[in-house]
Amino acid sequence: MVNEDRWEPKIVAFLCHWCSYAGADLAGVSRIQYPPNVRVIRVPCSGAVNPLYILRALREGADGVLVSGCHPGDCHYLSGNYFARRKFFLLKELLSWLGIEEERVQFSWVSASEGQRFAQVVQDVVESVKRIGPSRKMVKEFLLHV
Amino acid sequence: MYEEEIRALSVKLLDEVEGVIGYSWGTLPFRARPFLCQKKEDVTHLVFNHFCGSNLARYLLSGELKEKKIAILAKACDARAITVLIREGQVKRENLVIVGIPCYGMVDRKKLEERFGPLQPQDFEWHLDSLTFKGENLSIGPFLEATCQRCLHPNPPLYDHLIGQEVTYIPRKRWNNDALTKLDMVSREERWAFFAGEFEKCIRCYACRNSCPLCYCKECFAEMQRPYWLSGAATPSENLFFHVGRSLHMAGRCVECGACERACPVDIPIALLPCKVEELIRGNFDFEAGIDPDKEPPLLTYRENDPGEFIR
Ligand code: SF4
Ligand code: SF4
Ligand code: SF4
Repeated sequence: MVNEDRWEPKIVAFLCHWCSYAGADLAGVSRIQYPPNVRVIRVPCSGAVNPLYILRALREGADGVLVSGCHPGDCHYLSGNYFARRKFFLLKELLSWLGIEEERVQFSWVSASEGQRFAQVVQDVVESVKRIGPSRKMVKEFLLHV
Repeated sequence: MYEEEIRALSVKLLDEVEGVIGYSWGTLPFRARPFLCQKKEDVTHLVFNHFCGSNLARYLLSGELKEKKIAILAKACDARAITVLIREGQVKRENLVIVGIPCYGMVDRKKLEERFGPLQPQDFEWHLDSLTFKGENLSIGPFLEATCQRCLHPNPPLYDHLIGQEVTYIPRKRWNNDALTKLDMVSREERWAFFAGEFEKCIRCYACRNSCPLCYCKECFAEMQRPYWLSGAATPSENLFFHVGRSLHMAGRCVECGACERACPVDIPIALLPCKVEELIRGNFDFEAGIDPDKEPPLLTYRENDPGEFIR
């Protein structure tokens, strides 16, 4: 059982290699402080993020998922993020319609030069997930009862 | 309905095709089943009525029929599914003779039972958009399947022969009973309570997937070992994973036929999910599956001004 008093959200962040991952790196080397709740997974492109990755992270107990890629027009592969945007839109709308909290799955565009912005995005995501509390609806049942 | 026409045409078609995929009565009343008619003397088994809910496009994919010249009876949604299958390279147009049937909708037996109690076939007479129960004439609208009440395309978009006359109204407008819209109106928590209850019921038999004409993957993500996306346990969280995953695989491909939910043994209205995705696609990406074979499917293309406000 999650101890609600000491609970800190776990956020899985899928960051594209060319922009957001580099942005996170810049935040790091610039010593910009941001909450330690994110677990970063580097992916080649936001377009390579299969929605099943997001569902799986949530089922395995993530309280929130952040997917971040290059700004529109800046994709290293030219249009991966445009394709991604359609998929993410459908996933987000469907989950929200089913009754999942909107804050559980969030998206951002962060470029390689936006270290400060990356820190801010993480800050915002962590705060919004803290407000809604631990994830319950999509998590494997036995993780909720150990 | 249309039986004389269907049988006469089938006799003719059997000169050039190996078989006609249609429907025959099943062993239970109020239930027709798919039937492959290969001999002229068997055409008398062919029927068409308000209980022909299975999407016949599914049967074009079975190994033995795949490369043969086949005629197929196609309601509007079956024809839409065939259009998608052709577009996706699963069947060859030149192998098919499509016998289109304008469709007035399929009747939900449960709705009949609710209204009339235990059902006796002899109490009913069936007409295109009405039924007679012990002499009383009633509109068919309230008894239709949920997906048929919200149908936007009652006429097949693709056919070689057309049986009967085109339907002249849009069912969704006429019956004005859209299950999706009803759910849209309740709060998020109420929707969750509803869906959580449904995911609780699912036994993950995969009948929904197996009856869907467009879920034809040789290896479904639900049964993959690498990656091992989800376990076979029919727990609510795994069930939700499966159904959300499947609905996204159907995005821009689901023809809103409802075959999946008719097949469900525990009466989960599971077509709500893929149909919701199609509704989002219709509204935001201006696309409907199986209508225009030349239009690029929505997830294989994009527009620079697609909805993006949800991204920080
Ligand atoms: S047919 Fe019904 S019970 Fe079977 S997997 Fe689909 S939703 Fe679940
Ligand atoms: S998902 Fe259901 S409604 Fe959509 S095409 Fe498949 S069987 Fe038909
Ligand atoms: S659910 Fe997805 S992977 Fe499985 S058969 Fe359908 S489309 Fe294929």
